[in-house]
Amino acid sequence: MTAAAMPQGAGLHAGHDDRPWIRRYVFSTDHKTIGIQFLFLSLFFLLAGGLLAMVIRWQLGFPGTPVPGGSILPDAMAPGGVIRPSFYNALVTMHGTFMIFFAVMPLLTGVFANYLIPLKIGAPDMAFPRLNMWSFWLMIPAGTLALAGFFVEGGTAAAGWTAYAPLSNSPLYTGVSAGQVLWCLAIVIFGASSLLGSVNYVTTVINLRAPGMTWMRLPLSVWALFITAILALLAVPILAGAIIMLLFDQVLGTHFYLPTGGGQPLLWQHLFWFFGHPEVYILILPAMGLVSDVIANGSRKPVFGYPTMVAAIGGIAFLGFIVWGHHMFVSGMNPRLGTTFMASTMLIAVPTSIKVFNWLGTMWRGNIHFHVPMLNAIGFLSMFVIGGLSGIFMAATPVDMYIHDSYFIVAHIHYVLFGGSLFAAFAGIYYWFPKMFGRRMDERLGRIHFALTFVFYNLTFFPMHLLGLGGHMRRIYDPTQYPFLAPLQPINRFISVSAFLLLTSQLPFAFNFFRSLFRGERAEINPWRDNSLEWTLPSPPPHGNFAATPTVYRGPYEYSVPGEVEDFLPQDRPARAAAEAH
Amino acid sequence: MEGTRKHPNYVAVWGALFALTVLEVAAVYVGLPRHLLVLSLLLLAAWKALLVALYFMHLRFEPRRLALVAMTPLPLGVILVVAVLQEYAKR
Amino acid sequence: MAHAAPLSAPRAEQGLGVYTQKLGMWVFLASEVMFFTALIGSYIILRWGSAESWPVPHEILAIPITALNTFILICSSVSMVKAYAAATQDDQKGLRRWLLLTVIGGATFVGVQAFEYHHLISEGLLPSGIREGSALAARLVDTGKVSATAAGLFGSAFFTMTGFHGFHVTCGVICMTFVTIKAFRGGYRGGRYHGIETIGLYWHFVDLVWIILFTIVYLI
Repeated sequence: MTAAAMPQGAGLHAGHDDRPWIRRYVFSTDHKTIGIQFLFLSLFFLLAGGLLAMVIRWQLGFPGTPVPGGSILPDAMAPGGVIRPSFYNALVTMHGTFMIFFAVMPLLTGVFANYLIPLKIGAPDMAFPRLNMWSFWLMIPAGTLALAGFFVEGGTAAAGWTAYAPLSNSPLYTGVSAGQVLWCLAIVIFGASSLLGSVNYVTTVINLRAPGMTWMRLPLSVWALFITAILALLAVPILAGAIIMLLFDQVLGTHFYLPTGGGQPLLWQHLFWFFGHPEVYILILPAMGLVSDVIANGSRKPVFGYPTMVAAIGGIAFLGFIVWGHHMFVSGMNPRLGTTFMASTMLIAVPTSIKVFNWLGTMWRGNIHFHVPMLNAIGFLSMFVIGGLSGIFMAATPVDMYIHDSYFIVAHIHYVLFGGSLFAAFAGIYYWFPKMFGRRMDERLGRIHFALTFVFYNLTFFPMHLLGLGGHMRRIYDPTQYPFLAPLQPINRFISVSAFLLLTSQLPFAFNFFRSLFRGERAEINPWRDNSLEWTLPSPPPHGNFAATPTVYRGPYEYSVPGEVEDFLPQDRPARAAAEAH
Repeated sequence: MEGTRKHPNYVAVWGALFALTVLEVAAVYVGLPRHLLVLSLLLLAAWKALLVALYFMHLRFEPRRLALVAMTPLPLGVILVVAVLQEYAKR
Repeated sequence: MAHAAPLSAPRAEQGLGVYTQKLGMWVFLASEVMFFTALIGSYIILRWGSAESWPVPHEILAIPITALNTFILICSSVSMVKAYAAATQDDQKGLRRWLLLTVIGGATFVGVQAFEYHHLISEGLLPSGIREGSALAARLVDTGKVSATAAGLFGSAFFTMTGFHGFHVTCGVICMTFVTIKAFRGGYRGGRYHGIETIGLYWHFVDLVWIILFTIVYLI
């Protein structure tokens, strides 16, 4: 309760850093260090989730055959290397869990919110640096518990990342007991971490902006991260409550979701998706924000329609709270309720498309530089549109009746999460790596990584639309058990091979990332010629960030200003008339 | 930043809270018809909650936007509960 | 649009005009509202949707002692806000007195709740339902007044909601103890009231949640 706010003048501490090693790199309260810690954590879980996906794809492409290297797995999971159906359920569950909670969310919010917000608004650090440190370190027990499930009797959680009750309630159905409990605990702890972070982000953006950094001069990345934090604050506690009740059903003998005890399985679905839908906007809004910054920079043009972009972020966030039922069209819920959800879901396409058109408007007649972050941002734009278009199909309840829980949905998810969030995350990593580490990543390797990823990603996920329309259901262990799916099996094999190549395509990125950490070309202060405040600081910025609190004179997207010598105009450069008056 | 702090009459608020609590408990034992009982209990509870929020938590004297922060969860909670209650609506 | 003039006397952006510690607490409390909404909302939904006869709460729970406990918590809220008023006026004696009363009030509340839990459990109300052969079972279930499943669900929800509220009060009492010790050491001298106000907000919030809980769980 005594965490004091950092006064604006605390920036005077910048450069004077006598912290011991452990306070500087391990238990650090510096938002930049915490952001980088989140980066390593999320990249680890991205890899873990990706490896799980490879095993899933092996089973789907070549059902019943031993997975290469599968002999190291115990018999309970894969006797003779052949994946058991029960282990397959665990795989799909933990793939989703790792990717959503431990990879993409920490990558977009944990990394970029932590790293960028204080820098971009001209603050010395977050509002509550010690809480921020806790936010990262809580991820360690959360991640450990999530991983631990693989090693307990009965295996890890196997009810899907959506943990529908009564499947998730009781070992009766999945044979999993301790694993599901560990999963619940892991997510609750993760929720606490997320909340601590969100309190920080919201408070910092509201209260710690430098003089002149008005709301309408904030970079869109900051707006997006700010509104995402509000979404998390309001949605994650619902998940926590729902999971606590699930946990009590599992260990205390309560009956919240168990029909035999008078409970309601649909209650779980409503609670989960009331969180779950804002959650997907938590996963995409930061990506949209990052991409706005990168596209403006790569086009050397201001973002088209900045106020509308802000309003669209707000509109998406608000509408995101009243569409959750579209995940439940086939659950047997009240049809009239379903209709209202259909209407609101279709409505949410409006602010989303506004953003897409505005990005296109930003690039239109711009002086486009196809640097690696820009390539990834354009990749985001195009792939997210495809994911959004499949969303229109799903929004129409009668259509969704057919494609729900089919591979059409899996295609949609991955187009928006990989094609959307992950490409944006790559753009962000390539873009801010120089600032974080003082070194540049290799451009050529970056282009190779983008090209290979883009190709194999589309080859992996686009055919899933076809599978879904053909009736291929989701989370299924062996598609060949159904004769009507037999004609689709070659597509499954094709997808699996593409997926293996997709994972392999990440090697240039991994190699580039780690080599550049130590051997990368030294980065200048502002390699991308960007206007935002972090690009006025050394790479990496010192503890405390700004030697003197900056003053902001303009918005963040003043590129190619007529009459200016350079094609960018930093936010903190005084107006020429005022400068000439000195 | 905040100048002199305004302090309302906390004892008066306390008295009101006491009286409202007594009314609430009395309502249960007086034997009102069910709908009226539920309605009056909800109103009394809301009134008490508002007193605590406005006077003890000083929302009455804070910048209006802070009240916005505090109020934001409420419509969401209502939406959630009302929507899910539709599952039990008579068709 | 290109050359926006700087403010004539640049000052930090005001935000909401509320100091950071307080703003952070309010933001946190907004998320706590959502948490209790999940629990209380689920109770409302389960009860409304229960096809079977739901127990009348005051036939299981003791209204008189809980009403008294509600009053005790409200009193501790008053002493909390009096402590805050004392802090703003640099009245150290008053601050210490009122903080001490708040801790005692909060601890009493938790104590009475614990006593009530013990009593209910021995009567036969458990999170998992009504214990067979217990006094409650004999009074309510075996006589057919209430179905076993509905009573079980009531038990589940009751302990979850009041348990988490009690957990929040307990955390509050612990923090309040630290704050009180700091006050006795002069940590809030000279009109330094921010920490008192911030923890006060948390305390009032916990009281507010109880006002809702008492009505919805015990009375309705």
